[in-house]
Amino acid sequence: MQSVGLSRRKFLQWSAMAAGGAALVACVPAAPGGQSGSEGAAAPDGAKTEIRVAHAWDASFWPTQEAFDAQFNEANPELNVIGENTPWGEFRNKYMTQAAANALPDIMYCQFAWAQQFISQGSFINHQPYIDAQADFNLEDFTAPSLVSYKKEGDLYVIPYDEGPLLLYWNVDMFDEAGVAHPTVDWTMDDMLDAAIKLTKGEGPEKVYGFAGLPAPDGAMNANYLYPWGAKFWNEPEENECHLNTPEAIEALTWWMSFMHEHGVTPTPAEDTFGGGWGGFVAGKVAMFQQGTWYTPVLTKDAKFKWDLWHWPKGPKAHTTGTMGSGYAITKDSKAPDKAWIYENAYLSTEGQIFMWGSTGRGSPSRISAWDSYFNSPNVPPSAKVVLEILTSYAVHDVLDTVNGPEITQVANQTWDLVVLGEMDIPTAVAKITEDLQPVLAKNNPA
Amino acid sequence: MQATNTLPTVRPRRGIGKMARQEEIAFWLFILPWLIGFIAFSGGPILASLGISLSEYSILSPPKFIGMGNYTQLLNDELFYKAVANTVYYVGVSVPLGVTLAFLMAIALNQKLRGQTWFRTIFYLPSVVSGIAVALLWSWLLNADFGLFNFLLSLVGITGPKWLFSTTWAMPSIIIMSLWGVGGNMVVFLAGLQGIPEHLYEAAELDGAGEWGKFWNVTIPMISPVIFFNMIVTIIGAFQIFDQVYIMTNGKGGPANATLVYVLYLYRNGFEYFKMGYASALAVVLFLIILAITVVQFAVARRWVYYEGGDARG
Repeated sequence: MQSVGLSRRKFLQWSAMAAGGAALVACVPAAPGGQSGSEGAAAPDGAKTEIRVAHAWDASFWPTQEAFDAQFNEANPELNVIGENTPWGEFRNKYMTQAAANALPDIMYCQFAWAQQFISQGSFINHQPYIDAQADFNLEDFTAPSLVSYKKEGDLYVIPYDEGPLLLYWNVDMFDEAGVAHPTVDWTMDDMLDAAIKLTKGEGPEKVYGFAGLPAPDGAMNANYLYPWGAKFWNEPEENECHLNTPEAIEALTWWMSFMHEHGVTPTPAEDTFGGGWGGFVAGKVAMFQQGTWYTPVLTKDAKFKWDLWHWPKGPKAHTTGTMGSGYAITKDSKAPDKAWIYENAYLSTEGQIFMWGSTGRGSPSRISAWDSYFNSPNVPPSAKVVLEILTSYAVHDVLDTVNGPEITQVANQTWDLVVLGEMDIPTAVAKITEDLQPVLAKNNPA
Repeated sequence: MQATNTLPTVRPRRGIGKMARQEEIAFWLFILPWLIGFIAFSGGPILASLGISLSEYSILSPPKFIGMGNYTQLLNDELFYKAVANTVYYVGVSVPLGVTLAFLMAIALNQKLRGQTWFRTIFYLPSVVSGIAVALLWSWLLNADFGLFNFLLSLVGITGPKWLFSTTWAMPSIIIMSLWGVGGNMVVFLAGLQGIPEHLYEAAELDGAGEWGKFWNVTIPMISPVIFFNMIVTIIGAFQIFDQVYIMTNGKGGPANATLVYVLYLYRNGFEYFKMGYASALAVVLFLIILAITVVQFAVARRWVYYEGGDARG
């Protein structure tokens, strides 16, 4: 089990504070749709109100969740929070189905890319009245990128719990064994390629690769792979035009694909026997990989080598990286939204975030005030402090938030596959992707 | 009351009627669990799907009636034709191959050999392994660099293809993998072969038939209903291939849609794009395709399927 890093006494104190905050909420005027004070279905006197909360944690993180809920229930005897965990890959379909049946839990997890779909279809309640009435909520405490995906007409419908930049994970042992200098603050994309070439060694099943994680036409392509060259895949924030067929984009993509086709420092799909770049990094078969902080607990637990995380390198024209995150929302089907807010407010308060994401080393809490606990966690790598630096300087939340993101990715990938296989050149591919995608992207914010 | 000479009306059917009614009630009681299950989990959803196919429905918002909109969109959808073509390719190659292989294996295992039961078990065993496990296993067997297939090919000096990572070889890879499950059909063939009366072979021998003559004039006609059954069931199953392709191509039907089969495209529309109306239209069209092929098969079967004292209508 992960270290939970919060004393029982302190937990009880802030739980009581959260409950006090809820009392304030009860005094505010009823929110649109009868959100506040609509506890008609709440339990009778003396009985506990059940709050169903849907999570999407990996199994190793679930005990931390259970520990939080147990302590919350103890501090709030009138409530009985029942957590339910679903593997991330199955979560969206499961809860879309529950939404259709008007059977959503009181509170549910929501990834940034799904948020607008749920929000636009009315599955989540407007959280703004609760936030406004909760004097100690302090929305200013949230990092700016963490709030981007969850608004509708200026109001917040999902409270983010994390938002982190995509970083460079690197295998310290492999760098040292190969005599390659460690990455520095000034590292450029070319420095990363040089290092990848030096770190690649061996043949066949024994081959070790310098880098994995090449661009694919998905939500992360803009900030990490194209902006550094002054290019872009789609326009932000409209996300309704494809800009891939430009000399800058072709130059950037040609440079990236040289990792695989020219230098052989990135495994081809056929060579990838470790289940993707992240699997290769954890297995010690890949020296560098791009990922968010949320994978660090897995690495802390499984990696048999020294590793660290670092700045994403600078491009020839810009220094950017993408940020992503997730949050929680009270749903339209909650019979006790005010009670659900007591839990959500406690869970996503500074103390709650310290308990769940700071002290455990999972990282990238959405509240700035929770970051110190992350830096001080025994489960973080030596350079953990760069994460907040990145988040508050050159990181941008320019990832696909649109409802039809999966379709955009699928349509583009059918052509991009041929580039990866070396069967189509990049100029031809980007021209075809642009042509294929235009009608799909045009569905967003039509004129 | 007027007396008559006629015998009192005999009502022999009354008792039988009671029994019949009781039997009828028993029949309905026994069939009720299945009927409820069918209506709730099959018939109902099928009808609902038909209705949804006439709407625009994203799950989270109520369906909006659009008439035949999804069907007309389908006619202009390149990927629909691609998925149909890929599926027809898969069905066209995997079904004849699979049925023939299962038949040949059944004939071999119908010989009176020592250890016959063991052989039958061994050949049947793969077909009980779950589809997901089989797909994962075959992903490794077909690995371009370390897989068993390319290793065996390298022993005879052939550089194997990239299999699942080749636009040319990806679908043949899926077809080869599908042969793993022929044990199921083999068992049905075996039962059919064992049901052929011995005296027919004896009569054929008396008429001077050799091994080939007996096979062609006795075995094939007598087993033809089983061949027909296996063809029908296998074709329907092949049109619905999904899980193996989903696992082996990481849900993408790649590379470059080379393995985008019909149900994967349906799934993608329904559960990735949440276009439930369009996905339902795809489901209805698939149902019609399978229905049409099955009707044609039944029509053609009258010419080649032999039923003792009956015809192909069964």
